[in-house]
Amino acid sequence: MAITLYDFELSGNCYKLRLLMGILKLRYDIVPVDFYPGRQHKADWFLRLNPFGQLPVLQDGDLTLSDSGAILTYLAKKYDETGLWFPDDPAITAEVLRWHAVADDITSTASAARLALGFFYDFDVEKAQRGAHRIFRLMDEHLWFGEREGRDWLCSPAHPTTADIACFPYVMLSEEGGISRQDYPALRRWTDRVRRIPAFTVMSGVFPAGRAVEEA
Amino acid sequence: MTLSLSDPTWYPIASSEDLPFRHVYQGQLLGRELAVWRADDGNVNVWENRCLHRGVRLSIGINEGGELKCQYHGWRYANRSAGCTYIPAHPADAPARRIQNRTYPVREAYGLIWSAANDQQAFRPFAGAEGHDWFALRPVPVNAAPEDVLAALGGLAPDDQPADLLPGLAVRFGGIYYFVQPVDAGRAVIRGLLREQPVDAVATLRHYNELLSKLRDRLERSAARKPAPEPLQPAYDKVSADLATMPDIAIPKGNTITVMVKRKWVSADGVIGFELAGRDGHLPTFQPGAHIDLHLPNGMTRQYSITNGPGELMSYIIGVKQESASKGGSKVLVETVREGDLLSISEPRNNFPLRRDAIRTVLIAGGIGITPLLSMARFLDKSALPYELHYFTRAGETVAFRSELEALHGKVIFHTGLPRAEIGTAIATALGQWSMAQHVYVCGPGPMLETVRDTAAAQGWPDESIHFEYFKNDKIIDNSSAFDVELARSAMTLHVPSGKSIMEVMREAGLTVPSSCEQGACGTCLTTVIEGEVDHQDVYLNDSEKRANSCMMTCVSRAKSARLVLDI
Repeated sequence: MAITLYDFELSGNCYKLRLLMGILKLRYDIVPVDFYPGRQHKADWFLRLNPFGQLPVLQDGDLTLSDSGAILTYLAKKYDETGLWFPDDPAITAEVLRWHAVADDITSTASAARLALGFFYDFDVEKAQRGAHRIFRLMDEHLWFGEREGRDWLCSPAHPTTADIACFPYVMLSEEGGISRQDYPALRRWTDRVRRIPAFTVMSGVFPAGRAVEEA
Repeated sequence: MTLSLSDPTWYPIASSEDLPFRHVYQGQLLGRELAVWRADDGNVNVWENRCLHRGVRLSIGINEGGELKCQYHGWRYANRSAGCTYIPAHPADAPARRIQNRTYPVREAYGLIWSAANDQQAFRPFAGAEGHDWFALRPVPVNAAPEDVLAALGGLAPDDQPADLLPGLAVRFGGIYYFVQPVDAGRAVIRGLLREQPVDAVATLRHYNELLSKLRDRLERSAARKPAPEPLQPAYDKVSADLATMPDIAIPKGNTITVMVKRKWVSADGVIGFELAGRDGHLPTFQPGAHIDLHLPNGMTRQYSITNGPGELMSYIIGVKQESASKGGSKVLVETVREGDLLSISEPRNNFPLRRDAIRTVLIAGGIGITPLLSMARFLDKSALPYELHYFTRAGETVAFRSELEALHGKVIFHTGLPRAEIGTAIATALGQWSMAQHVYVCGPGPMLETVRDTAAAQGWPDESIHFEYFKNDKIIDNSSAFDVELARSAMTLHVPSGKSIMEVMREAGLTVPSSCEQGACGTCLTTVIEGEVDHQDVYLNDSEKRANSCMMTCVSRAKSARLVLDI
């Protein structure tokens, strides 16, 4: 079974899959898709893979999948032997999917602002930035109380899940859309924790975090 | 009320809990962005949020525990002093020691981190601060003018108990204190404190968070209907040219610092440790490999390497070898200086700079030569850079700084009492074959240094990958020659007779010549040679530097030609 990722290096949604596959130590091939400036995701050959004309697309053997959240779920359920990245428990599944939905809202706001400022998309930048700030404010509150209640991640388990992977990239790239994270200290601390997950990989615009202080 | 950039008032800028170890917090006060980080020793640093190199935000940098490293170009700054400790583009040369980031005053108290735009006022606790176990609420950022936020907070007070207005944008009613952090003309953070620890902390935090979030929404709705105030325009000072330029040589500035001997202990048989503490805050920034001149009570000056790790600036720790045969310097220190005594030291100088971009770093120490290498190992250790430390001691000689060495995470290998022949083999094995970006640093007795240099050269290590520091020049100096020196910048020609050094002759002619060891080991008197052939007798320059004939040590080196022209 060979995995192929139809990928654009600068896409946060493609990065989510590269991140999880790296953490799960999966081997995969990359087919680069020139999203910008080539608009290859709207080319006929790509629309046959995903009629919605969106990256990423992942093929696993004969299976063709699209939507980053759906693919994260698939990869975790199929390849994560620990069962930690997408836990089976119904209540936790609901929690994870809830944050997958938030991740899509982050894409339509923070990522849209980045596309407008960095890729010349004709979006309403201020509206996108306001929307991102609204979400980040709620995330910061959720994560701040999490720290007080002994929860380091977006969902209740004591370890990260695909929810953290799904929300991370466009939070981390928000400055490229002119969205400062200064007012969200708990969100900034969470990005340190995500970047310290073993086998974490970077993308353009995302720096690694330094080492945590040793548990002496 | 209008905010002023020069307002000297102390304001809270973060909660203590905002600063876990190895994190850099992004804050802002009166328009100035701040990078705030807690070092591993607990000290909180509040710095301007810009790297001196290109103005990149330091809040995206890496808190390594003792230094903050800028993500873009790798400049590093020390805990406490904010002094620059490393510039990757100049790894073989020290940055000017006094290049330092702009710092702001800081105090951690009552669960909050306090700071001010300048040093004009000493920190004073707010009225009624003392004697309570303060409980910090969740800070709430608000996009509204600080004075409007303050007025709205006052409105939260019950009718029968109006709020007390406190100095510095704060209000109090009952056991609740609200402080408004003036982020900018149109932005603020509400920082609340309760006088007592609540019974149910989380429920209390949620209650106040809801209350303040509703207040925030109200304030932001009304701020949206008003014209936005003009943001403050902080000026970013350029680093003054004399601080920012790379000095040609580390000329001691002549400034001495008074330190107190805080601790004196036997680190090993024949090695005494001294902890020299600053009397008023922290000591100057130093780099790994640096040394200080210690002015002894008998008028002598001796150099000792600083063994400290990154960001440890409250005291310098040195190791002194008890040598009965020494010129008396160490003897005086060991025998007469006691804990509590005051001594004068120079600012740290570095003739032994450490590159921090190596794929592999080999540190080789012989005896008391461990001192600069211990510092290097500690710096590499904190930055998780790969290194191995080989420490050679003679039979019967005990290992100095053992517990400090055992606290390291890297490869530390003790070679004790090896016969001469085996030392060579051990060094050859430790070095291995050279490949790109490998460096070796060695400090110890002369013969050992020669062995390392010869072995490394034989195994393909180029000169520029071998770094050494002699702590003394054992060579017999031949001062029999006589010649003329022409001092190009001073427009004078002097005759140097046999029996006198160039340095002595220059001093007799009234010139001030910086020097330290006066035996060709430390590099302080390094001088550029314009013309003539040098008779190098120092141990500071390596062979290729000597062959280049472009600089010399005026304390021991002489001329092979009849005339030398020096850039003095």
